[in-house]
Amino acid sequence: MKHIVRKLIFTIACLLIFSNRTTWAHPHVFIEQNLEIVFDEKGMAGFNVHWIFDDMFSIMICEDHDVNKNGILEKTEVASIKEKAFSYIAEFDYFIYVKINDNPFKVKYVTDFSAKINHDKLIYDFFIPCHISAAKEFKHIKIATYDPSYYSAIYYSNQHPFTIVNKAKFEAGIEIKKDKSTLIYYDQINPWTLFLDFRLKQ
Amino acid sequence: MSKILIIVFLLCIFFLSTSTVNANNPFTAKPEKQHIEPTSLVKPLIKNKFFVKIIFWQQQLREKMSSLIREAKTKKTLAPLFILIASGFTYGVIHATGPGHGKAVALSYILSCKPSFFQGLVFGNLVALTHGFSGVFFVLIVKFLLHTSISTSLDTMTNITQIISYSLITCLGLFIFFTSIIKWIKNKAAHHESRTRIFTHPFITAMAVGLIPCPGVVMVMLFAISMDLTWLGILLGSTISFGMASTITLIMMAGISGKTALFSLASRHTRILTNLEYLIEVTAGLMVACFGLIFLINSL
Repeated sequence: MKHIVRKLIFTIACLLIFSNRTTWAHPHVFIEQNLEIVFDEKGMAGFNVHWIFDDMFSIMICEDHDVNKNGILEKTEVASIKEKAFSYIAEFDYFIYVKINDNPFKVKYVTDFSAKINHDKLIYDFFIPCHISAAKEFKHIKIATYDPSYYSAIYYSNQHPFTIVNKAKFEAGIEIKKDKSTLIYYDQINPWTLFLDFRLKQ
Repeated sequence: MSKILIIVFLLCIFFLSTSTVNANNPFTAKPEKQHIEPTSLVKPLIKNKFFVKIIFWQQQLREKMSSLIREAKTKKTLAPLFILIASGFTYGVIHATGPGHGKAVALSYILSCKPSFFQGLVFGNLVALTHGFSGVFFVLIVKFLLHTSISTSLDTMTNITQIISYSLITCLGLFIFFTSIIKWIKNKAAHHESRTRIFTHPFITAMAVGLIPCPGVVMVMLFAISMDLTWLGILLGSTISFGMASTITLIMMAGISGKTALFSLASRHTRILTNLEYLIEVTAGLMVACFGLIFLINSL
């Protein structure tokens, strides 16, 4: 009987662990984020993403890519970082999940990627084109940023979580809060999300 | 030991291999080497708010450690050493409370085998300490002997370990499946020593599954080395490893106590239960083989 109990317990334990296996990942990279929403003549043109990595991940990347160890990332070194320490996340929409009036917008590419070292921290900047024309009615945009594998944890900066550029022609309101309608990391938590509402000035 | 022990350890290895799937850094590992599922059909049984707290504490401790290492470097003083050691140990304790780090392996060992209290503790600590110290040695070897890229080497090592583990799991899972079916049909005695025992000695397995370097230790080591404080990196890596081992020890103690209480409820053997035993063994063997094969294909 003891064998039976042991095997049953073990099988159940295995099934529980298997069913929950992807929640095992946990952050080894911490990213502080700032978003810059950019408007043009017609409406929203896209947004700049500013990521500041934690000290330890910064060192790991710089050890591999700052070849001359001068603490400055030259053009070739930035290209190397873009190829080997950034472009792979394209597979995961660059960790950026956008919804326009609750309809998903897939981030397929980014532009203007740059990497630099500032105060020993690695910084990535890139632009995500996302053209949304303004109308008389409000348009509701949600921008959530998270790593689905949970290897990286992305936080909005406390001091400057967002900025808006060229919004003179539009009425715009921004709020950062947890998106209660979305559950991530296998339904563990609601992601911090930027909520943007905008329309033409009346 | 019976075949069920073999299954246990195959699945133990599998647990760790699966967790290393998630240990691939998405920034530096090629997408085809990752197995990330942005959306899930599988939902956890319990929503874990504590999980979020753990992440926050780890971030705070990592920042604290990096600032103290910088202080030790710039002021050329050992004053922050005590706080650093305390921070490293606490980081290890908290890091191991998060997912992975051999807890499933250790608990499976308790559930399926009959270790003494001492054996259980040795097993759990071996998993945790090997996992931590392999991170220390990994950085020292890659940095000072091989002089190659840390992130690439870490990903390569993870992938090679995965392929070996999944191949082993698939082969032995199939072996268990077929021999269990034959045994069931012939209705031979359940206790039958297997030739595969040689592969499944618990302490060797503990060290084998722990060999995958802990990325947390790797990053702390790298940071200290970049500050020309290699000795401090080794000290912190060791402290973190002991912190992780402390958590595993507590979990092992709880697991062994719980199992002892549960088995006291066991009663006598029946024919139905004997068949159930065979059924579980066959199912488990098939499950191991299938999962192993699926992940092996994904790893190639």
